Amino acid sequence: MDELVQNLRIACHECDLLVTIQTLDAGATASCPQCGHTLAKNTPDGLNKALAFSLAAAISLVFSNLFPFLSLQASGLEQVMTLPQSAYELYLDGYWTIALLVMGPIMGIPALMLATLAAIVIPLMRSQPAEWLIPAARFLFFLNPWSMVEVFVIGVLVSLVKIGAMATVILGISFWAYIAFAICFIAALTNVDQTLLWRRIEALQT
Amino acid sequence: MSAFPPGTAAAEGLASCHTCAKLSPSSLHHCPLCGSALHVRMTDSLQKTIALVITAVILYIPANVLPIMTTTQLGTPEDSTIIGGVVLLIHHGSFPIAAVIFIASVLVPTGKLIAICWLCLSVSRRQNTSFEQRTKLYRATEFVGKWSMTDVFVVAILVALIQMGGLLNITAGPAAIAFGGVVIVTMLAAHSFDPRLIWDQVETTND
Repeated sequence: MDELVQNLRIACHECDLLVTIQTLDAGATASCPQCGHTLAKNTPDGLNKALAFSLAAAISLVFSNLFPFLSLQASGLEQVMTLPQSAYELYLDGYWTIALLVMGPIMGIPALMLATLAAIVIPLMRSQPAEWLIPAARFLFFLNPWSMVEVFVIGVLVSLVKIGAMATVILGISFWAYIAFAICFIAALTNVDQTLLWRRIEALQT
Repeated sequence: MSAFPPGTAAAEGLASCHTCAKLSPSSLHHCPLCGSALHVRMTDSLQKTIALVITAVILYIPANVLPIMTTTQLGTPEDSTIIGGVVLLIHHGSFPIAAVIFIASVLVPTGKLIAICWLCLSVSRRQNTSFEQRTKLYRATEFVGKWSMTDVFVVAILVALIQMGGLLNITAGPAAIAFGGVVIVTMLAAHSFDPRLIWDQVETTND
């Protein structure tokens, strides 16, 4: 790890100032002296943690699709909703664009990101060069701004309060699975530093 | 001619790859490590950003005028707009949720559009003050972007959950598409703004 950051010369992404990071101890963060932008963050044991959390996230994501997400009781009627149904009902109403706009950022993109992250981290941990490392890392950081897992969690909480006024809502197994997925997904990504991940790939591939 | 502030990569003839952060001579067109297109500054950053801002403003009109969802209770359909939903929540007394929806659907998109416009204007006027504040504003617009999707997600959940035949039924409205469009386009606008343009004016203060 240490040799990766030895006298690393980079330019700040936000103000283009040339900075040389001499060393970066485990747990330390390098910030731009001019604008304060985080240049690199050396999370201790980052690759291991990223892989562990992405595995946990993938399992939770599968569970969140298999069971009832929310169910509703009003006037003796019961309505059960699963997570894929939230997009399917929109699709049935003719709003396939919104269905895509919902399923992509909350499930499709995060799932692709988890698979890509595992495909990058496993060869890096084994110090085994792989031809897909560079395209995979480009793909991961291209997708990154479009995952909206945490926003969806807030959206669910808002809807709970909205519906709560009309009927009794019961939280299903999938609801808790999705919360677990959101926590693990964000934990996996915070253990990945874009600058350092690329330096690892550079060291391995060249 | 090319007056970049001293100490920057651009002044030394270097370009930083936007994807992998590798420094390369700015004469190269593609990053030698990851193959991404290499630019000293994003090409036509201001023009692209302004074009996307205008698109977002246009989409913002149907997003607010058209209904975002239709609630059919005992056969009587009732349309609700984004603002209408907020007003209804206030009437029901759920102020925190009303605040969440108001911030996510009204304050954030409009504030973001104003902020991006101001950043573009300050760069094109070569403003050489408050670099740090403007960078912070840029970071805030980037961070806050996706939170506007909250309302679209709420609609998706309500539509899926509330399907009780003739008793109570909720369907999505066309404003949901327009609003989703606003969120995506404003996110693209924030991405296409190059914050390094703010700092390119630093040198003029040293002269």
